[in-house]
Amino acid sequence: MTTPDPSNIGDDLGLGLRLPGRGTEDERGRRRLHPISPLVHGASALPIGIILLLAFGGGGLIRFGAVSIAVAILGGLVVAILVAAWQYLVWRNTWYWFDDDGDFRVDSGVLTKRQRRLQLSRLQTVDVTQPLAARIFSMAEVSIEVAGTHDSRVRLRFLTLAEGRALRNEVLARAAGLRHDTVEAPEAPIVKVPAKELAVSLFLRTTTAVLLLLTVLIVLTSFLSGGWGAVGLALVTGGLPIVLVVAEFMKYFDFTVSESPDGLRLHFGLAKRETRTVPPGRVQAIEIVEPLLWRRYRWVRVKVNIAGVGGGDSGGNKEETLLLPVAERSVALEVIGRVLPGLDLDRLDWQPAPARVWRRSPIQGGRLAVAWDDRVFAARRGRVTRRLTVIPHVRAQSVRLTQGPWERALQLASVHVDSTPGPVHIVGLHLDAGQARQVADDEVLRAAEGRRGDHGTRWAADS
Amino acid sequence: MADRTEQAFSWSEGWHPVSSRLITARRITLALVYLLVVAGVIVLFVLPGIPQWIPVAALAAAVVVFIWLWWLIGRRVRSFGYAERGDDLLVTSGILFRRLVIVPYGRMQLVDVKAGPIDRWLGVTTVQLHTAAATTDASIPGLEPDVAADLRDRLARRGEERSAGL
Repeated sequence: MTTPDPSNIGDDLGLGLRLPGRGTEDERGRRRLHPISPLVHGASALPIGIILLLAFGGGGLIRFGAVSIAVAILGGLVVAILVAAWQYLVWRNTWYWFDDDGDFRVDSGVLTKRQRRLQLSRLQTVDVTQPLAARIFSMAEVSIEVAGTHDSRVRLRFLTLAEGRALRNEVLARAAGLRHDTVEAPEAPIVKVPAKELAVSLFLRTTTAVLLLLTVLIVLTSFLSGGWGAVGLALVTGGLPIVLVVAEFMKYFDFTVSESPDGLRLHFGLAKRETRTVPPGRVQAIEIVEPLLWRRYRWVRVKVNIAGVGGGDSGGNKEETLLLPVAERSVALEVIGRVLPGLDLDRLDWQPAPARVWRRSPIQGGRLAVAWDDRVFAARRGRVTRRLTVIPHVRAQSVRLTQGPWERALQLASVHVDSTPGPVHIVGLHLDAGQARQVADDEVLRAAEGRRGDHGTRWAADS
Repeated sequence: MADRTEQAFSWSEGWHPVSSRLITARRITLALVYLLVVAGVIVLFVLPGIPQWIPVAALAAAVVVFIWLWWLIGRRVRSFGYAERGDDLLVTSGILFRRLVIVPYGRMQLVDVKAGPIDRWLGVTTVQLHTAAATTDASIPGLEPDVAADLRDRLARRGEERSAGL
């Protein structure tokens, strides 16, 4: 382990503490995380430690009253100190830097050493997030993700917010082929989702609204009939949607879309503020969702597939990637226009499913249709909740034709245009079998045509 | 009218079926699974306190299902087919749920060749294609090992030539 240059040792907290390694680079240009990171880890373990202690020794603790609370806090502190001590070792052994090939490198590991090299030409996203504990210390976590099937994400915990932003800009600039000392890309806000609109829209989502209505009915009938047996059920039908609404509200609170030279930048979250950058040309497919009760406000939600995001990360947790949780249609179309330039949904020539489709899908049958122009393929479905999906021909991975027994009896078939993993699935349901095959074959040709005209990934260097 | 569906899921020329040895391989697997079923029925016969008709009915049902699956395997395997076109590979399969997958060579990220123990013994191999989409699901079972190796090399070469970014 190299000793850092003493002249660079900083006093970041203004407490007279001299912390080694702060802001230093060793002779190979390797950088360290912020030295108070172990403390942040320890602080985030504090409540967990207390909860665990209460859970295991709960009975005994309750008996001893106030003393027990002191014991629990003390125990939590011990856990936090242990975590912090371990994280100190992690911190000492973690280095990150940009190597001479322009790759991002991370060396880490206390017992098992690990060296990782991220090819920035395959960069998907750089997120700066502030989990609650980090927020208290005004620290931030930077996670960098490249295209790859598994474990393609590194998380740097923690840097100061300013350092985190600077690192994000450096990564984005290097990936885009710009000089890496470019100043922070200026942001110009385009859309801000008002809290009221978000809250109202979440309550008016079809499932939420149906469940809440059901709850009201259950409570009413219980009240009128005098039997309270169904109240337990009402707790579930009423509680579940409220929990979901609150969770989504917290997650997407103050959702802001801004334009920056790196692409669209999304900021959102109440307790945990997240930042996501969507570089142009990385959007694989979009979906415009319009639940029944949103229509009178002309509201829509926009989902996107971004390669490497949303299909479940190395931790395996699935995430719905949104471009906008709720916005007026015209606003949404403007934002979509920035990630898929030249898209004009009104000029698409919709090819509907044949009339006999009502025998397969009586409700949504009349809305099923596909359309395409020289850039994109689009499919729509859904009557109660309208869904419109769009994929640029260039982004189509493969094309599938499927037919179930019921479709077969009616000579219908569905066309799927496969996109990278994510919330958006593009499917033209229940078309005439012959027409479906024609659409599939044509789409493959258009995709091939599109790929021939597609350019490299270092998009900023081209323009 | 049924031929319109046939047309939709096929390709007129250069269409290859898969080896009929796959039928044997799958029927052997079925028979092995059925050994467990037979064991279960025998246990029913031996156990005291169970009316005789229960194991008899179970046996009859098992036999009927066995015959049906035996026949279905033949049809399912014969439903597999693939065709190599200029720029893409077509794979079709399924009887009840029909499927046709068109994978452009330039989109292939990985070509897997695999064979289980029974498959190896009978000389059948599966070639599976992967793209960046998890939903692509294009696998061709029941190829003879050298045919599979040739196909893999051809696909890999064409993939290399036409490779495109995401």
